[in-house]
Amino acid sequence: MSGRRLSQGGLIDRSRLLRFRFDGRDFTGHPGDTLASALLASGVRVMGRSFKYHRPRGLWGAWFDDPNAVFNVRLRGDELPNCPATTTALVDGMQARAVNAWPNAENDLKGGLDLFHRWLGAGFYYKTFMWPDWHLFEPSIRKMAGLGAVDGKAIDGYVADQLHDDCDLLVAGGGAAGLAAARAAAEAGYSVVLADDHPTLGGSLYQGDEPIEGEEPQAWVAAQVAAIRAAGGRILTSTTVFGLYDHGLAALAEDRGFARAPRLWRLRARRTLVATGAMDRPITFADNDRPGVMSLQGAAEFLGRYGVLAGQRIAVLSNNSHSAPIVARLRAAGAEVIEADPAEGAPRALGGKRLSGVQIGARKIDCDTLLVSGGLTPTVHLWRHAGGKLDWSAEKAAFVPGAGPDHMLAAGAANGTFDLDPALAEARAAALGTPHATGASGYRVRPLWPQPGSKGRQWIDFQHDVTLKDVELAARENYVSVEHLKRYTTLGMAADQGKTANMAGLAAMAAIQGRPIPEVGTTTFRPPFVPVPMELYHGTRRGQAVNPLKRLELEPQHRAAGAAMGEYGGWLRPAWYGPEDQSAITAEVQAARQAAGVFDGSPLGKIEVMGPDAAAFVNFIYYNTIATLEPGHIRYGFMLRENGLIFDDGVIARLAEDRFLISCSSSHVAGVEAMLESWRQDGNDPDRIFVHDTTQHWATITVTGPQARAIVAALDTGADPATLAHMTLTEGRFGDSPLRIARVSFTGDASFELSVPASRAADLWQAVLAAGTPLGARPIGLEAMSVLRAEKGFIMVGKDTDGETMPHDLGFDVPRRKKKAAFVGDRALQTEAANAADRRQLVGLRVADSGTVLPTGAHIVTGDGPQRSIGFVTSSYFSPTLDRPIALALLESGQQRIGDRVQLRHLGQSLSATVTAPCALDPEGERLNA
Amino acid sequence: MQLFPCPFCGPRNEREFHYVAEPGKTRPDTTGDITAEDWAAYLYDTKNEKGPVREVWMHLTCRELFVMERDSVTMDVLGSKTLRRTLPAEGAA
Amino acid sequence: MRDDSQSWAPPPDHSQPLHGAGVTVTRILPVRQTLISAPDILTRQPAALGWPDVATGDRYSLCLRRDRVLEINGPERAAGWHDGQAISDITDGLIVFEIAGAAALALIQRGTEISERQPSRSVQRLGFGTELMLYRWEDRLRLHAPRADGPALWHRLKAHLDLMG
Repeated sequence: MSGRRLSQGGLIDRSRLLRFRFDGRDFTGHPGDTLASALLASGVRVMGRSFKYHRPRGLWGAWFDDPNAVFNVRLRGDELPNCPATTTALVDGMQARAVNAWPNAENDLKGGLDLFHRWLGAGFYYKTFMWPDWHLFEPSIRKMAGLGAVDGKAIDGYVADQLHDDCDLLVAGGGAAGLAAARAAAEAGYSVVLADDHPTLGGSLYQGDEPIEGEEPQAWVAAQVAAIRAAGGRILTSTTVFGLYDHGLAALAEDRGFARAPRLWRLRARRTLVATGAMDRPITFADNDRPGVMSLQGAAEFLGRYGVLAGQRIAVLSNNSHSAPIVARLRAAGAEVIEADPAEGAPRALGGKRLSGVQIGARKIDCDTLLVSGGLTPTVHLWRHAGGKLDWSAEKAAFVPGAGPDHMLAAGAANGTFDLDPALAEARAAALGTPHATGASGYRVRPLWPQPGSKGRQWIDFQHDVTLKDVELAARENYVSVEHLKRYTTLGMAADQGKTANMAGLAAMAAIQGRPIPEVGTTTFRPPFVPVPMELYHGTRRGQAVNPLKRLELEPQHRAAGAAMGEYGGWLRPAWYGPEDQSAITAEVQAARQAAGVFDGSPLGKIEVMGPDAAAFVNFIYYNTIATLEPGHIRYGFMLRENGLIFDDGVIARLAEDRFLISCSSSHVAGVEAMLESWRQDGNDPDRIFVHDTTQHWATITVTGPQARAIVAALDTGADPATLAHMTLTEGRFGDSPLRIARVSFTGDASFELSVPASRAADLWQAVLAAGTPLGARPIGLEAMSVLRAEKGFIMVGKDTDGETMPHDLGFDVPRRKKKAAFVGDRALQTEAANAADRRQLVGLRVADSGTVLPTGAHIVTGDGPQRSIGFVTSSYFSPTLDRPIALALLESGQQRIGDRVQLRHLGQSLSATVTAPCALDPEGERLNA
Repeated sequence: MQLFPCPFCGPRNEREFHYVAEPGKTRPDTTGDITAEDWAAYLYDTKNEKGPVREVWMHLTCRELFVMERDSVTMDVLGSKTLRRTLPAEGAA
Repeated sequence: MRDDSQSWAPPPDHSQPLHGAGVTVTRILPVRQTLISAPDILTRQPAALGWPDVATGDRYSLCLRRDRVLEINGPERAAGWHDGQAISDITDGLIVFEIAGAAALALIQRGTEISERQPSRSVQRLGFGTELMLYRWEDRLRLHAPRADGPALWHRLKAHLDLMG
């Protein structure tokens, strides 16, 4: 006989029955139960198999400290792996299965593995499967070990709600201390959030039967809750504070029911009170993992919260004063309790799948359940997350919160104050910021730590199957730092993160080395405190929202015209128009060269620089001289970084004496604007220069080709394109709206950039196509534009330049030699590296007319001796205009190699080409004015 | 997630900020002669200190450039001050 | 070459409001939005709003930076540097959504760390992955965002409204 449900007591609703299955058998429980409490109430002992040895395991704890009962749980078609049975609320219809066990936990076929334990110690896999290659063994080893398997089916609507909030005081933990603190702070006018991971507040109050401040626990808790709410405080139940981060940020996971994604709270708290209570420590003795060996505190929780008595004939092994009220409570509930003192001798648990007794020295106690308490360990995880330090309390044989950031507070058992009334006083004082002297502690504990060299298999980490012998082995092999011990043995690295294991592990190491425990120290505590689904961090940022693109005003028009859309520099833009790429691109290039192409250039930057110092400022920002630019004129230029490398290229127009318009690359607008602001505020007078990014106010339609002028002339703009010289701009009207006409060319043909406010884009698009279509014009996409500009040898920054390219590598050398005024990056253009003879320079590559298009990225290699890369292809296309392949490349000493034949390598393939000037079409520029 | 004080906007989530540089570096007058060593020091030398540090940051949303003092160990923010020498004549900030 | 047209749903129809529990999101169309920068702009426009100031009526100014405001439905102004001010028309550059209902702020708190207890001189902030100008208008909230980010923002707002049930 083991656990059973009592006819009264607990926080469950006995009037309703919930049915569920576990490992193929039917069970029942009640609302308020967890899977673990319902199984314990039904007499189930074996609830899992251990990770490595497949040892049978039963419950240890009643809440997040249980390492043993881990289930895959299915409910109405939704399955979640690795659910801790102790924290999974029971729902009618659940089907649970112990992980790492087959066919079930009670009769696991791999149970025999335990016989080989002698050879499976720490480091076994590292040492054994080294030769010839670990990867040979890995798949089968992974299959043997591990926890639950995923069923591979996504749960519909499993999306985490994520929100931000703030408060004056966050109280983590809704036990006696947390409730008292939250009430005191709320009544003092602070905005308070109290979060507790249980569905029912009260913490450990239900473990004993002592009244609290003269009231029954449930009545006292209800009174605090009512007072907190009345004072405006907020209470979050079933909500775990799983991480504390810098500057008072707390992360909370709010459970919203089985197979529903939890809600993430990012809560900014001016102060945070850690009132997370304390956990019972296991005692390390031989076979201390037998089903039936449980935490005393856990048994008290099962009794107090769920009305379940853990056993009938119970032995209690405790080294501390905390056990007395629990023993009394167990006896009152009808259990036969035999108390034992671990000082009587080395204990050994007896029995197999079920505990049959315990041997303590010469004394043998027959029992079905052994409840152990090795002392209380304050739950200091959150305290450590936010940078709090720990002090060792010899009196309490525990680490307790020490110095911490000003906004962090700790109270109650989490602070090592285990007695109720002092905990309440401490919590209230902490909440109000009033001074408080901690009185003498009534808690008594005799230190009891693992005994190295003692007999039997003694478990330290139940979930990862780490024994005292493994710790001893690690010490022998000099993994003595706790961080090394952890990684070598995997102690504390399971899903429970060593909640019951870490103290025993570091105490064992301290004992082995004869060092004091505080000197050995703890491993780092990191969020999350309990496992949370990855979905918690994911939320609505999924699908198109993962990395959303900027969208064109004309996207509906492009789609209607059959555009293939693609990402270009953060924007979704038309790549080509038509069902098939190559024929469409060819047709678009031919139309642009023979009639006109109509291109949506709206993302092109339109950053205005204004003010009395604007001219001097842009002259400093640009590599090229801008100060001499006349109003109404446009110049092409580069912006460099201070290290002389090209940051961006584009044209700049002077709209007025004190007003410039920078057309930076479409993908660089935000970066250029930030760079301008940096220089404006650092090194210039920000009161005399202003930078406005107006890019998205304007839609830009570029008309390029021999018919461009005729098309623009057909629009009623009030401006005459015939008189507009190349590299000038003018203003006209489009209906009631302003229209900006800039004559610049990225294609080598006469081109007009027409810009109107974005809300007029559709009208302008329609007007241009109406005027252009009879003349043979057609919309062209980014791919055709890339071909058109490559025919002319025009670069795209980031494609035809890399992280070493300076402007003179592209043939723009005059400012470097002649510009007198200071400009960004100037000195860096005069360094030894900048003057090196073997710099990679922009060139064209020509293959035989019948040859194939060179692969972009192909390396140009030296012909003699061991091959070395001396450059690479940056852009490569078939040119419909020239009816042959064209390519651009960056090549060492490229200018001197013009005319040379070079070898290329690509994926094992050898190719050859002739080095040419970058411009393959109309090098005299006659088409511009044709 | 840290909270940084923009001198104009007040405390904001660290996502809104971008580190710019260590303060105190003045751009050399590049119309004169500068040794390669001096230029390299201007470009690349950073102290990257442990403990209290002064750094130039940009508040990306309002584009304010400011000097923040913070502790690179404890992550405490010790203060922030605009990079501007003179503040615009306004009473509101 | 890849055609990603199907990976991206066509831009949403902003003319139909989004409805959620206790929240409605509507696109509104100001007649004019003007960026004005000047060293003394906050002296010239001392009423420029910060957070959580409340705008009323049709015409108001938002404080963006130490030296910049966004004027909503102000007079038509010539663009450029005039009278010591840098002026740009940005009417079509910013898309404007109005969020009404009891849960309006709760919706916004899905996308940014904001609280009425934490005032700010500027209405500019990062939210839902984009730059926003966010302020109270009468009993509602309004936000201005870069026009091209409008579809993504609308998509996120809708996803959050669905989650809020």
